[in-house]
Amino acid sequence: MAILEVKNLKAYYITHKYGRSSTVRAVDGVSFEVNKNEIYGIAGESGCGKSTLLKAVSGLVKPPLQILDGEVSYNFSDESLNILSLNDDRQRRRLRGVRISLIPQGSMSVLNPVRRIRKSFEDVVYAHLDVSESEFEEMVRDHLQALGLDWTVMHTYPHQLSGGMRQRITIALSTILRPDIIFADEPTTALDVVVQRGVVQLIKKIKEEQQNTLILVTHDMSIHANLCDRLAVMYAGEIVEEGDVQTLFSNPKHPYTSMLLNSLPRVGDSSPRASAPGAPPSLVDPPPGCRFHPRCPFAMERCRKEAPLLRDVGNRHRVACFLQEGGQ
Amino acid sequence: MLKKYYIPRLIQYFTVVFIGLTLVFVIPRLLPSNPVESQLSRMMAQGQYLDPAAIEQIRETLQQLYGLEGGMFQQYISYFKRLFTGDLGPSFTQFPTPVMTLIKQSLPWTVGLLLVSLTISWLIGTILGGIRVSFPHSRLARLIELVIMGVRPIPYYIVALVLLILFAFLVPVFPMAGGYSMGVKIGFNARFILSLLRHAFLPVLSMVIIEIGGWFLQMRNVASNIIEEDYVVYAEASGLPKAKIVFMYIMRNAIIPQITGFALNLGFIFGGALITEIVFAYPGMGYLLYSAILAGDYNLIMGINVFSIIGVSTAMLVVDLVYPLLDPRVRYS
Repeated sequence: MAILEVKNLKAYYITHKYGRSSTVRAVDGVSFEVNKNEIYGIAGESGCGKSTLLKAVSGLVKPPLQILDGEVSYNFSDESLNILSLNDDRQRRRLRGVRISLIPQGSMSVLNPVRRIRKSFEDVVYAHLDVSESEFEEMVRDHLQALGLDWTVMHTYPHQLSGGMRQRITIALSTILRPDIIFADEPTTALDVVVQRGVVQLIKKIKEEQQNTLILVTHDMSIHANLCDRLAVMYAGEIVEEGDVQTLFSNPKHPYTSMLLNSLPRVGDSSPRASAPGAPPSLVDPPPGCRFHPRCPFAMERCRKEAPLLRDVGNRHRVACFLQEGGQ
Repeated sequence: MLKKYYIPRLIQYFTVVFIGLTLVFVIPRLLPSNPVESQLSRMMAQGQYLDPAAIEQIRETLQQLYGLEGGMFQQYISYFKRLFTGDLGPSFTQFPTPVMTLIKQSLPWTVGLLLVSLTISWLIGTILGGIRVSFPHSRLARLIELVIMGVRPIPYYIVALVLLILFAFLVPVFPMAGGYSMGVKIGFNARFILSLLRHAFLPVLSMVIIEIGGWFLQMRNVASNIIEEDYVVYAEASGLPKAKIVFMYIMRNAIIPQITGFALNLGFIFGGALITEIVFAYPGMGYLLYSAILAGDYNLIMGINVFSIIGVSTAMLVVDLVYPLLDPRVRYS
């Protein structure tokens, strides 16, 4: 059964300046389901709405971001709820860290710079659990040990750690309460490749041990190939293709997915990689019809007028492209 | 690591103080006027007859008093010697009262007035600024901001005069002028302290009203950057209680520049608050310095400068020494 169901989600950034309002349609009618214990990837170029989708789905919506339409329902083992209908801040706070957890971008400043790591752990644990100090210590010690991290980091400040170490600590902090769903937003960005590998393995390890569901957002297709069970490719605020990773990598149906995959380097192939021409469109005023048509090598007359719907082409593989509709 | 941080700062402190005091020594000696000759000519102008030998003797005594005997280097050495014993020479206009006595009379008033108003305005401005940012949708917080920002541009003397007219004249709950009621003995007794508080209330209030704005604005600007920081967003995503986020994540980080500002303002206390002192006829350093400048009382000006130099540099040193406790990132770098 699907632990997360997103239906027709529309999340726009709406700003008002001097009486004029401008709307950025960052997420425009997105629907997908994530199964329990699955690693679900969301891929796409920068500025295609991946991070906004993640914010909307995890309920971290703050102006100017607004949810205009849609439903985000969670089906946990003992309760089901629509996170967008929760108006009470307290109800949302209860979910965070415990049910839904976030691994943020691997950047410099995710941990409070003036607090020791231990304090950050205390903040998170004591916010949700009523435990004694020794129980807290045991809990954190076990968790760190399971992840191969040393207890001594607890006494340090974030600036004393390397970027990779900080990201590992952040991951440990995000998963200390064994959340049902983990959202990882570009967890490996800003890290070098060697550290990336360590972080990817760490995420895998946690997932195996805690048996939770992971939603992984990154533009890095190789991370997706490494980790994910299923993958959704986003373009200009919409999902253009979704399917399991193997099918998608071996048999991409959408021209945009093919473009992304063609730009990846391959072992043993030294020919220059083709880069996808152009850039994603402005989400203030997206092109009419299929949003990809200005960059699409196979664009037809129809693509300029009508927007293709996401359709199942068999084997839970969904594509939004007219090319897939009965031959041409 | 400690040595690396503290020792250079202590060296810097003493260097700055030394250079400042040297400038205080050099500048008046570059001026064309000479206090000894001025003093003598003033005595002569009063029509006293003095025989040349007596004049010479008076000149010598005066030179000794002003520290002007011997060559430059000798003067320089004796200047520092005198500083260490707390001797800043006599005041020119209130001869022969020593400068030190005049400063000692005014300094407690100024320190009391400015320290209290600075602390109160800093606390209120900082806390309200932090709250304004942490609760962007609260109507109360917005109203407070409106009031503070509305009051801020009013010229200080108008606020002071309005307070004086309202609460000392129309509704006479507070006294019009002075530092304490006449006839009350200065000392540690209830009557004096009560009188002191009553007299200080309006001056302090007027300064607090105006100064809150600056602290509020600075805190608001810093904190509104802090709430965009990843660690605040992440704290929210981890479901921390709002109070924890406000105090330990937003305010705790935004307060660092506030504390620097507070300490730097401490250093400027020695200049006094001239307009406050004039409007409320309150004793203090501002008026002392003002009248010294008007009367060309160089010794007194230099004496106040010595205090300012030491005050400002000590405040800077304190900021530097306290900073690592507030911001661990500074500690090891």
